[in-house]
Amino acid sequence: MVKLGKNMRSVSIVGVGCTPFKDFEDHPETQGIGEGEAFGYAALEAIADAGLEPRDVDFFYHGAANPYLINDCITPNMQVADWFGMRAKASVHHSEACCTGYVALEQAVMAVASGTYDVVLSGAVDLASTLPVEHMPSHVRQDFPLEVMIPSLDKIYDRAYGRPLDGAFGVSFDNWINEYSMIYDLDADKIDDALNGLTKSLRRGAVANPLAYYETTVEQDAAEMGFDSADEYLKSMYNPKVTQYLRVTGFEKKCDGAAAIVVMPTEKAKAMGVPHTPIEVLGTGASAVEAGLVHNEHWATEVAAKQVYELTGVSPDEIDLFMCNDFFLASEICSAEECGYIPRGEAWKYAIEGRTAFDGDKPINPHGGRCNFGHAHGASGIADIYEAVKQMRGEAGATQMAKVPRTTFLRGFGGSQNVRCQILRTVE
Amino acid sequence: MQLDQMEPIVKKFYQGLEEGKLYGRRCLECGAVEFPPHLACNACGYHATEWCEVSGHGHLIDFTLPGPQNDKPYLREVGKYAYGAVELDEGPAYTYVIFGITKKKAKDIRARLIAGVKVGVHSKIIDRPGYKELCFELD
Repeated sequence: MVKLGKNMRSVSIVGVGCTPFKDFEDHPETQGIGEGEAFGYAALEAIADAGLEPRDVDFFYHGAANPYLINDCITPNMQVADWFGMRAKASVHHSEACCTGYVALEQAVMAVASGTYDVVLSGAVDLASTLPVEHMPSHVRQDFPLEVMIPSLDKIYDRAYGRPLDGAFGVSFDNWINEYSMIYDLDADKIDDALNGLTKSLRRGAVANPLAYYETTVEQDAAEMGFDSADEYLKSMYNPKVTQYLRVTGFEKKCDGAAAIVVMPTEKAKAMGVPHTPIEVLGTGASAVEAGLVHNEHWATEVAAKQVYELTGVSPDEIDLFMCNDFFLASEICSAEECGYIPRGEAWKYAIEGRTAFDGDKPINPHGGRCNFGHAHGASGIADIYEAVKQMRGEAGATQMAKVPRTTFLRGFGGSQNVRCQILRTVE
Repeated sequence: MQLDQMEPIVKKFYQGLEEGKLYGRRCLECGAVEFPPHLACNACGYHATEWCEVSGHGHLIDFTLPGPQNDKPYLREVGKYAYGAVELDEGPAYTYVIFGITKKKAKDIRARLIAGVKVGVHSKIIDRPGYKELCFELD
């Protein structure tokens, strides 16, 4: 296993910004907003949150999951800088599909920890509800039908073998929960109950969060459709299984959104007296295992989690909040155990009992996660960081955890599959 | 690197499938077989490998059944199938399409795998537009 070196200097998150994660075309306030503006709103919010002006930022990272298709551009960092007052400053674009937002944090921290820059902004944007129209200005959008989206997903799989041999795409959705169900000999009904339990908890969090996509609870949806209970509705033909284990509610809710963070040396933040308590980034564990390889998400998560625990010396029982990319919903159960947040073999029961809800004793994704807060692909990882920072400041509003978390574990993955495991801690 | 020190690895792999041969690369240091083949060894991290043939026989590690989201009609035309992880007799493991796993048989196969029984599989090469696809089927 790669042994990580300590950063040259401690780095903290001092500012966060996040747009609503909605279908911008459906809301009169946002109809017509393009990628540059969306990135700009999130960036300006993060800069203001840090008590700074754009002139104070030295460098920025731009992330997007698939800019050629979804943003109709190449080198998008060149096209957004002017939106938030950073013309002529250095920047770079990166793209790791749905892991983009976590790589955004890792890279920004490295840029500051190395001493190259003092104040770095790292943001990401994807307007994934609709598509741009070639040769038209950015406010003109068109539908983004599944017939266009599904084939585009293939491009995250290895062109040599993973894609043409069909295994990579085929196993991606279910392979970890299937492995989990075999280890603990859990039948399909138990897994179904666990995933539906997660959906109910996550949706409650999303509905209470003004930035989230969904505005009605599962219980309200069930009543609207004439069902007596949420469980009946979740198991009905209105929510069919679309893979062996995952129902429609177990998949991401594609939407539009942008998010950004500002990082600086912890000592500088203390000396300046930034407006909010700095949140130190203790470290990032990293791995990438291609989807055609056996149990790739499990493999890469195991490597990255071990790395970050070894680097930081943090013990799993110190983790107060667990955030994870859950665009395949079952990933919450498997990764929470692999990262030591919930005892092995127990997470499926925690899910059924609602213990992972924002008001439970082991919260995961209090904002609702990818399937309920919404998934703006590259931007979602930073939206997770936004939520973690708000929780750690005690500013998460209606979904604030009862005990303000001091230590948060982020498990990001995406792009078949890059994985990042990151630990954040409140600076005392 | 000079031209005469390079060769297309992926092309040879697929040309092998056309002839019913499965080409891998054996590590010159640790002997592990890289399959499907790459340039270097991912088992030990040594830089050099050489061509070898593999048997095409192995065992199933686990499998999942396709649903509407990940079903491929052209695979169904060949036969009932699942997606699964296979470890070849020579050691390397990768994911493939596995023919012969029906919904009816799935429960029993899963029970055998949980019990630690080795479920044998062998290669089955199918036609795709412009290339051959390596799949497996139950013994």
